[in-house]
Amino acid sequence: MTQPVRSNFSPPDARPREQVAVFSIADYRFVISAASIQEIRSTDSLGGTVVDLDRVVLRKVRHIVERDARSYYVVSGCDHFHLPLSRPSTVLILRSAPAAILVDRIEEMAEMRVLLELPKSFIGEERTWYRGLTVLDRKVLPVANPLGFLTATDLRQLEEQNPGLLQAAAGSRNERGQA
Amino acid sequence: MSGEKESLVPSFVVFQIGNRRVAVPRDCVAELIASPVLFSFPHTTPLITGVALRRGRIVPILDLGPGLLGAPSPEARFYLVVERRNPSISERCAIPVQGECELVSGIMLPASAQNDFVVGCIDLNGEQIDVLDLEKAIATSARIEDDSIQTVEALP
Repeated sequence: MTQPVRSNFSPPDARPREQVAVFSIADYRFVISAASIQEIRSTDSLGGTVVDLDRVVLRKVRHIVERDARSYYVVSGCDHFHLPLSRPSTVLILRSAPAAILVDRIEEMAEMRVLLELPKSFIGEERTWYRGLTVLDRKVLPVANPLGFLTATDLRQLEEQNPGLLQAAAGSRNERGQA
Repeated sequence: MSGEKESLVPSFVVFQIGNRRVAVPRDCVAELIASPVLFSFPHTTPLITGVALRRGRIVPILDLGPGLLGAPSPEARFYLVVERRNPSISERCAIPVQGECELVSGIMLPASAQNDFVVGCIDLNGEQIDVLDLEKAIATSARIEDDSIQTVEALP
């Protein structure tokens, strides 16, 4: 009897894919879209370009960092997520927001294949913090919203209390470069 | 005929939170699951202790202990998956329960308890079991937990 020919062909996985970075703060892991990250740096390599804020209006933001003629508010990841103090060794400089996020470390780069809606029972700040939830290695992880680290209200407050500082920091950097 | 008659008698799922036995109407219970893998992440919503992944769905875990016991409920082996139905939330969530659950039929009597989330009671072998309005129980528990967090934060 002839055995039916079995093709090894399997239909391509049509689910959307997104490259993500998995980072950790304290005991928690988070996911963020790789496309939203401009640069990943060690905190040690930022020493000379950090400027203190004149007025600290948000506990999670105390400094500005200059990178490539742009300035970014440095956001403490543990303060942002209301986590106990941790030891950040890495900073994620974001592309779409003037924010550089202090995190403990990058755990891995991965491919996200599913983005699940945050259940509506969640009604707190997490609705701003996360785009949703994903499943990586059979673990549920929150997907950070790059625009959630500093909301429009946060940015307005920072600018009002430290007028022109973000632009001035970038400007002085440019002048130094020209000199 | 007897089937029709039976269907007119409402059913309730009786479960235990800490040392308190309570019930909810059967139609708001989806399933009972044992020891799911729980995942937690930072958030600020009262009562939610984590989420479970159930058949590709994210199911939040809601602890009713603060409202029913005045404290978080003890560690649970079973989770009662219920349907939340209110104007803004229509989804499944899981409630940690202690001990076994029972499915009983009976007529709901007027509430004897003072709690506003108790809508009535059923008689189970002489024991009066409070029937909960799930949404009110969640709201009350959330308020109590929120108050206790603010009290702790206000301490020097």
